[in-house]
Amino acid sequence: MRPAAFEYHKATSLEHALTLLQEFGEDGRPLAGGQSLVPMMNLRLARPGHLVDINGLGLDSIEERGDVLHIGALVRHQRYFDDPIIARRLPAFLEAVHWIGHPTIRRHGTLGGSISHADPTAELPAICVLYDAQILVASTAGERRIAAADFFANAYVTTLEPGEMVTGVEFPFPPENNSGAFLEQAERRGDFALAAIGVSINHDTSTITSASIVCAGARLVPTRAPEVEAALVGRALSAPEARAAGTQFSENINPVGDHAASADYRRGLIAELTTRAIERACEKAREHS
Amino acid sequence: MSDITLTVNGTKRTVSVESRRLLADVLRTEFDLAGVHIGCAHGACGCCTVDLDGQPRLSCLTFAVQCDGATINTVESLGGKQAEHPLQQAFKSEHGLQCGYCTPGFIMTLAPYVDEMVGRGEMPSDADIREAMSGNICRCTGYQGIVAAVRKAISDQIGKETTP
Repeated sequence: MRPAAFEYHKATSLEHALTLLQEFGEDGRPLAGGQSLVPMMNLRLARPGHLVDINGLGLDSIEERGDVLHIGALVRHQRYFDDPIIARRLPAFLEAVHWIGHPTIRRHGTLGGSISHADPTAELPAICVLYDAQILVASTAGERRIAAADFFANAYVTTLEPGEMVTGVEFPFPPENNSGAFLEQAERRGDFALAAIGVSINHDTSTITSASIVCAGARLVPTRAPEVEAALVGRALSAPEARAAGTQFSENINPVGDHAASADYRRGLIAELTTRAIERACEKAREHS
Repeated sequence: MSDITLTVNGTKRTVSVESRRLLADVLRTEFDLAGVHIGCAHGACGCCTVDLDGQPRLSCLTFAVQCDGATINTVESLGGKQAEHPLQQAFKSEHGLQCGYCTPGFIMTLAPYVDEMVGRGEMPSDADIREAMSGNICRCTGYQGIVAAVRKAISDQIGKETTP
């Protein structure tokens, strides 16, 4: 299929883009990499009357700003592979990037686009929730920040207001002794996740001092389970209770069934992926301790 | 309608297009380049891959109007009428195609990958090759012959048969 008719506008500055988005309201969408929005338009699941092309507006830096890593909305996924700060400080993030689509998609897709699209199976929304990221948002009325946990409202729905646009994301740095892992299962490499699990643990030389676990692909939004995270605190880095935590997490997540996998299948998958992700994160932590 | 100027396979031309026209359709219709194949039209199959300003790009997920001033190369730019590009020749000798519908997309995805590996003098692992072509779907011949073709195109140019 082909998209419905729309008007194309090439923004010349961020202010210009925000003015246009304010003018068009619900009928306007920013166009960045197009790797999520354009398929939706081709399938006529999305029919915006106006596209505001924001490519070339900058918003594409990855930089340390004090105790956060700031990533611009127009950073393409491929860039993360070469970023030494992400590799060292946000290890689950780096592992997640390997699971995003495939090389051609990763060269063009953007952070702002992925999270604004809010696909429940997508990796980067899960990573934002895992690391308690702040989503930076702008409109003609000014700027605001939204905690990742409050940003994803439903499948393909965010709490962005009409006229607002994501300009970047801030990831608070975990402490130096942090480890992480991201595992995913899909029908084919690069296809939509049946389930994906991100784990980030802070640790001392022998124990877990705090943990975050996120699941994508099994609920309408990326989901965490604070009770399971709390239960891992003080546990040994040898992770003897990884399987118990994985089972408990899959019960807390209470996954949905759909055409791709039943709820029961997902429950088993989440338990297994979570177990392996905790074990992997702990193994990496032991190597560094 | 917008006027856009594209340099396609070395020829610069200005065409008038509706905003909603996909780059894939404009290349096929306005530029008569039937090697740009459209499989799924939503970014899942890779058939429509072209080189846009030096990078493989899905022309079904790109509006032509976005490409004003861009340089685009399609499969027709490689190897001439006899398909003499090393990767095209390797697809032929290693049985990397059957019906051929997906082939232009594979070639446009993998030609820069082969060039990069040849530049590094490096034979990638089969797993790396499969990752590089993971965005392209073939529904008749399978991927074994395509992996072999990539290996042959690289080894023919660097003179190494095995993975380091």
